[in-house]
Amino acid sequence: MTIHSQIDSRTNLILKVSIVWRGVFALLSAAGAIFLWFGALLPEAPLWQKVLITAVLAIASVFSAIGAVQISRRNHSGRMISLALDYLAFVTCIVIALNTGEVFIGIDALAETFTSGLPYLGIVALGYFLSVMDEYFPQKQLGAETSLKVTSRWVMLGGFVLFLLQVGAIKGILYFLGKLAQPLGLASVAGIAIFGFFLWAIGRSESAQALHVKTNHEQILSGWLFLSPNLLGFLIFFAGPLVLSFYFSFTDSDAINTPNWVGFANYAKILNVRFAMLSSPTQLAKEVVDIKIYDEVGRFIFGNSGILFAAADKFFWLALRNTLTFGLFAVPLSVIPALILSNVLNSKLPGMKFYRAIYFMPSIAAVVGISLVWQWLYNATIGYINYFITLGIEFWNNLFNLAVVDPKIQWVSDEKTALFAVIIIAAWQTMGFNTVLFLAGLQNIPGELYEAATVDGAGPWDKFWSITLPMLAPTTFYVVSTTTIQAMQVFEHVFILMNPPEGPNNSTITLVLYLYRSGFQNFKQGYASAIAWVLFIVIFGLTLVQFQQQRKSSIYES
Amino acid sequence: MKIQSYRLLQFLNKALVYLVLTFFALVMVFPFLYMLTTSFKLPADTFRYPPRLMPRDPASVTVAGFEEPLPLYHVEVDGQQKEYALAKSNIKVGVYAPANDTAATVDRFVDEVTPTDKTVSVAGKDEKLYDVTVDGQVVSMIQISQTTVGEFIDPKNPENKAYQNVRKSEPVESISAHPENYTRVAELNNMNRALTNTALVTILVVLGQLATSVIGGYAFARLRFPGRDTVFVFYLGTIMIPFVMLIVPLYQLMVLIGWTDHLAALIVPWIFTAYGTFLMRQHFITFPKEIEEAALLDGATRMQILTNILIPASVPALATQATFTFLYAWNSFIWPLVIINVGNEKNHVLTLALNVLRGRASDTPNLILAGAAIAIIPPLIVFILGQRFFVESVASSGVKG
Repeated sequence: MTIHSQIDSRTNLILKVSIVWRGVFALLSAAGAIFLWFGALLPEAPLWQKVLITAVLAIASVFSAIGAVQISRRNHSGRMISLALDYLAFVTCIVIALNTGEVFIGIDALAETFTSGLPYLGIVALGYFLSVMDEYFPQKQLGAETSLKVTSRWVMLGGFVLFLLQVGAIKGILYFLGKLAQPLGLASVAGIAIFGFFLWAIGRSESAQALHVKTNHEQILSGWLFLSPNLLGFLIFFAGPLVLSFYFSFTDSDAINTPNWVGFANYAKILNVRFAMLSSPTQLAKEVVDIKIYDEVGRFIFGNSGILFAAADKFFWLALRNTLTFGLFAVPLSVIPALILSNVLNSKLPGMKFYRAIYFMPSIAAVVGISLVWQWLYNATIGYINYFITLGIEFWNNLFNLAVVDPKIQWVSDEKTALFAVIIIAAWQTMGFNTVLFLAGLQNIPGELYEAATVDGAGPWDKFWSITLPMLAPTTFYVVSTTTIQAMQVFEHVFILMNPPEGPNNSTITLVLYLYRSGFQNFKQGYASAIAWVLFIVIFGLTLVQFQQQRKSSIYES
Repeated sequence: MKIQSYRLLQFLNKALVYLVLTFFALVMVFPFLYMLTTSFKLPADTFRYPPRLMPRDPASVTVAGFEEPLPLYHVEVDGQQKEYALAKSNIKVGVYAPANDTAATVDRFVDEVTPTDKTVSVAGKDEKLYDVTVDGQVVSMIQISQTTVGEFIDPKNPENKAYQNVRKSEPVESISAHPENYTRVAELNNMNRALTNTALVTILVVLGQLATSVIGGYAFARLRFPGRDTVFVFYLGTIMIPFVMLIVPLYQLMVLIGWTDHLAALIVPWIFTAYGTFLMRQHFITFPKEIEEAALLDGATRMQILTNILIPASVPALATQATFTFLYAWNSFIWPLVIINVGNEKNHVLTLALNVLRGRASDTPNLILAGAAIAIIPPLIVFILGQRFFVESVASSGVKG
């Protein structure tokens, strides 16, 4: 009661207006949600969008109503709700205003003029350089130091303004204002003003006092405020799409028409497979399965008979086979040499950092560029790889008087070697990265263990098996699982190296490549989403298996 | 004795270590070396077999009496290797022999012999007879074969001539470089614009991501608020989810807000990452709390603490994350491929430009590899500059898992 009497009339008025505002907000949100279904608002929006918008509006409406009640009771939760709702609406209006003014799309225009502004960015860099310079001044010349600091600040600011003018900031602002002058743009500007006002009104400390706010509330508010840019972006561009992806996998979405719910049909098609006994190894597929539905994927031959494996979607199973084969070879090929190399690098000889940097190089270069380079290295007639093979064979033939024939491998155009060519590139590229990871793991093993083993008379080999490997188990798990997760997503290597990307006779079609082809070339996006979830299950399953393997083997951890 | 053999063993051991390391270093470096040297070659030089690493140009020389410089070749004159200039090519040479003794051949220029109307039957075939001068006497001979040779002259003394097959002659070559390949590929494929786009996208993604993950990571590490730990666990759980899971719905989202074909679609979704926030949180949580509490008592706001105390003290962590993000944004391919139309070349990033170049310049590896170098070299420079932070932090992130 005592606090009540302290409230000045202005704050009292603000709180009353805020209560009314919360009521209006609740009613408007509710009206919007109802209008969405029974009115002409967004008539062509797909179901998921309507459901989403309704849910958001309904929640906003309910909370706003609660907020109104709580503010009238002078309860601090009313302030929280009010601030949260107004903040979200405020941010939404800003984003809508920016998007209506085509600020985001305008980045393209910036790219056009960006190079012409580079000299002025040079001035900014010069200013920065000056500001760093002042650290070298001795303490006595304090005057010189501050004047230098001021000068450098002005130089940086001036350079940046010149840069903005050069890249067409004025033109851009005029264009932005022109675009903003339409109903949606003006509405969003009005929204910014209204929500901004109420943010200020409820946020000011007098209102906070009037609503009995406790000291830790400021921390709660700034916590959510600091997290909000990241969290909102994360919800819109990561968590939301993830849920949508799950929804799409149950629809026939094609990116243009409204998606229809198809239940498990996408998954059923992927998993629709048949095994059939073959009476002879060369028996035709049409004799044992219905080839209107099923395509032959492969056959397993045992002596005179065999089993035919056919699937409704043969490309998926070919892609799964290739992806798993890829992982089966690429992972050991990039992990085992890395383990050996890291042990060699761990010998504390001079120059090891240099080698470490060299090994790291391939993993930072663009896969697209790397694949183009290897494409020419793999060239069957003029490529270096075949040239080295030829040299090697000539050398051995001369040395031992043999007559081994030069195979002249057609690396990328032969279906037997195409996938292997991709495996080699991937192993080459990830090996250095894995080496650095292993090296870090090795440096964490206490040296006393080795000393004790030496005293006990253990040789280097014993030490490797009994100390290094078990102590390295957590690192090994990390390396193997990340390499596997990466390997299961192989796409860029095949896309660039192979022409067409699926390779000769589909020998390099991978899951992500098939996902891309389904979703963005055939525009079966619902089906592509289902493939994505199957891929996720494959990755998750493999990681889980490795995790359990690691738990079993890392007895030394405890 | 024993000490000596121990030393020898140790020396051999060291030598073996360096041998193994150097071998692998060569394997790692060779493709880059090949890319660089090939990008400076002439097209014809790239298709040579056996392949050579260094770019070479055929040498030429100006000879009195000729307007154009003449190409130089290795020519054998009187049993000696000499460098002669090719003055004339496609000179026809015939091999002639008497009809009764086809083994006794003589070589003559075709325009030095006179064809006659007479024929002679050799092994059941009618062969035309030619008047060939041998040792000052005119002899009737048949033509056995005909080739073409080039006339090579001594550049210092054009009177000294030699004749031999041009195709089988080794041209004199000198190591050279053709940096104009880079300007050509820039014009051919709009690589300039692609480079600008990539740089712009990368800069904005790096700055944006640093901003959101620094304040987000600070909130996770230092501020207490209900729901924080739930959200954090939620963030952690999504780190393992591969990006391809999102590609379809994210594409539809971009269609919805009209960002397809625009650079904004390559920037905005990448600004908010769970992983970056996680890394920043891990970094800030190691920071001593006392400094912050003291600053709070002095009346500093949270934002002031962040910008004036925490950020200046976190330069290595920020540099590491910036380098990671730089590489990711610079090298990304599948998302630009999905979102930017093949025809919309002005919004292509480098990886997309390379994909187009691959088809457009498939017969000129020098240009393709110059394009690849444009895409690969900037990250390499960033790596060399930030190597110290970068490699160490990869190592530590791996250990922490």
